[in-house]
Amino acid sequence: MSSSKFVDRPRFHCALGGALFTLRALQKAIPIIHASAGCGHNLFSASNAGAGYLGGGYCGGTAWSSTNVVEREIVFGGEERLNEQIRTTLDLIDGDLFVVVTGCMVEMIGDDVRAVASGFADSEVPVIAVPTPSFKGNSYDGYDMLLSGLFRDYVTQGLKKRADTVNLLGSVPGQDAFYKGNLTEISRLLQRIGFRVNTFFGEGETLDNLQKASEASLTIVLSDVYGLKAAAVCEEVHGIPYISLPLPVGAAQTSEFLRAAAVALKADATTVERVIREEEARYYDYFERIADIYNDVDLQRYAIVAGDANYAPAVSRFLADELGWLPRLAVITDLLEEERIPVLQQRFTGWESDTYPLVKFDTDTSAIQRYLAEAWEPNHNERYADTFSPTVLIGSVFERDLAAKLGIPLLTLSFPVTNRIVLNQTYAGYNGGLGLTADLLTTLVAGR
Amino acid sequence: MSKSKSIKQIAIYGKGGIGKSTTTSNLSAALSKMGFRVMQFGCDPKSDSTNTLRGGVYIPTVLDTLREKVSVDAHDVIYPGFNGVYCVEAGGPAPGVGCAGRGIITAVELLRQQHIFEELDLDYVIYDVLGDVVCGGFAVPIREGIAKHVFTVSSSDFMSLYAANNLFRGIQKYSKSGGALLGGVIANSINAGYSREIINDFVARTQTKVVEYIPRSITVTQCELKGRTVIEAAPDSQQAKVYVALAEKIAAHEQSEIPTPLGVTELQEWATSWSDKLLLQAESQVEIGEAI
Repeated sequence: MSSSKFVDRPRFHCALGGALFTLRALQKAIPIIHASAGCGHNLFSASNAGAGYLGGGYCGGTAWSSTNVVEREIVFGGEERLNEQIRTTLDLIDGDLFVVVTGCMVEMIGDDVRAVASGFADSEVPVIAVPTPSFKGNSYDGYDMLLSGLFRDYVTQGLKKRADTVNLLGSVPGQDAFYKGNLTEISRLLQRIGFRVNTFFGEGETLDNLQKASEASLTIVLSDVYGLKAAAVCEEVHGIPYISLPLPVGAAQTSEFLRAAAVALKADATTVERVIREEEARYYDYFERIADIYNDVDLQRYAIVAGDANYAPAVSRFLADELGWLPRLAVITDLLEEERIPVLQQRFTGWESDTYPLVKFDTDTSAIQRYLAEAWEPNHNERYADTFSPTVLIGSVFERDLAAKLGIPLLTLSFPVTNRIVLNQTYAGYNGGLGLTADLLTTLVAGR
Repeated sequence: MSKSKSIKQIAIYGKGGIGKSTTTSNLSAALSKMGFRVMQFGCDPKSDSTNTLRGGVYIPTVLDTLREKVSVDAHDVIYPGFNGVYCVEAGGPAPGVGCAGRGIITAVELLRQQHIFEELDLDYVIYDVLGDVVCGGFAVPIREGIAKHVFTVSSSDFMSLYAANNLFRGIQKYSKSGGALLGGVIANSINAGYSREIINDFVARTQTKVVEYIPRSITVTQCELKGRTVIEAAPDSQQAKVYVALAEKIAAHEQSEIPTPLGVTELQEWATSWSDKLLLQAESQVEIGEAI
């Protein structure tokens, strides 16, 4: 971990922001922000741009409803103000679910937002409250807090379990610019092996998927970090067990993922193997196109990967095991609980290529360059030196300066991704592997 | 008087129920009788600090007024009390909601921003502050640029001294950034002989001093029941003389110091040592009684 005494460009924002963008990704779920003026706007600006211009969505972004508490509410309590804001929001906005989310200041003064929301129990649409104080965590935690709140207070309890239904968590809207493409791809594959999938934020999904999430017989968390707490709440409240599998990128990881998921889901093994065969056939039909250019001009590269706990291990392994590249440094840029670190370190073992990068955990952007000297012996003016070149940097826009300094191409995929417009692209699954290959190699042939 | 004179701002802290407001109100009254222009600023959500200066009558608080209006004119929250003492109550939220600490900050800032102390040509502003320094809000009067001297009202009870010790820790912290320093301890309800010994020992260990010993007195109770200070209702009493003496000492007080609070364990050990001593004294008294 970093030994620096200051925070240098971290790649996340606050819990309230994580909750807001999770709500933004749910169809017609309307947040009511109980916080100071400015919280909502700042968080919208950060996540909108950082997530490839995700936008505010329906009645969202700069139109978010907010109590904008001022000193009067801080001194005397903000519950009356919240009550008024819920009332007016219900009048003005046509939503299917209203969720009160909170900023730090109202949590510090102890406003009982759940009690205020419960005063609207008779309204036509549900109004629930989920405290999201940012002194309890960052935007990734906000995603977990929000989903945990929804699992407790919104998802219908006691529905009959369906063996063919699975919930998919772990891709954080607003933090992962590609969340929707990724969820769609993994959902597509699970559907192919015979399952109905609730991702809550995916294509064509509505709040109905969320409300009926208790029908699922398993939750798959596509992450070693994000969504685990929400999955645990879902298990506690709805009796749905969960497993955690890493986000798969490319054919090898995705086939592995499908086999592991199939075991947990008790899926028909013959079907799973047939789907894998078909998907891999399609995958390699595209993949083989690059064989000529790759070998003709030697597109093998060293690589530096800086990204969140989902992307950094998966992309590094994809580079090493599928693209034949040489990842030398992988920096996981999240603020992690101590016990998550060995789990993530484990992801950098057992690779087919047996080629591993130096793995570091650091939230400070400037630390990456420092670790580079550790990953590759710097040239001390020797006449003949083994240079760390040619190299590609895979990270976020925060790596732009480092890429420019090293004179190497940069592909941004981890938050913040302000230099790309992201729509339905994915870096997960088979399609994600193809997309990543195309995007990476495009950086090398762009000048042609 | 010249507008450039310095206003002596004093904060009085102490555990709840220890006699802070009684002492502060009598101090304000005594200073006003000495010819000074005094404001008493109650910093307690209970908002009863200045009651005995106003015949037992509650006054609208700064925060009550701020709740009703977007902006507050400081003149609207200052009420005349006994002998022209200006009375202000910060007020606070209803119990269990909001943030009383922030309320104190808001109220103190409001008056300071409107330069009302200078306009009223005050000689003394005395802040009467709630109990322990539970959060940053209640430390506002001792932060830089507000009160210059802090006095703590304490009896010889352990919990009261514990609160005083906490206050010393607050003073020590803010002393590094130009905050108020400690003027001393106003020893209240000091009747039994050992109370004086205990409190003397405490101030010696924390490198401060006792400004005045105030005995427990029925006169205070009688006056308070009438909604008056002792200075107003029993000016010739022995107790009034004690408060006048306190006022004279505070008027003459110039130099405050940084105290050296005891550590938690140290404080506990110190208390235990006194417990043992008192036990010994009690036993020896019994033996004497048996001998008779």
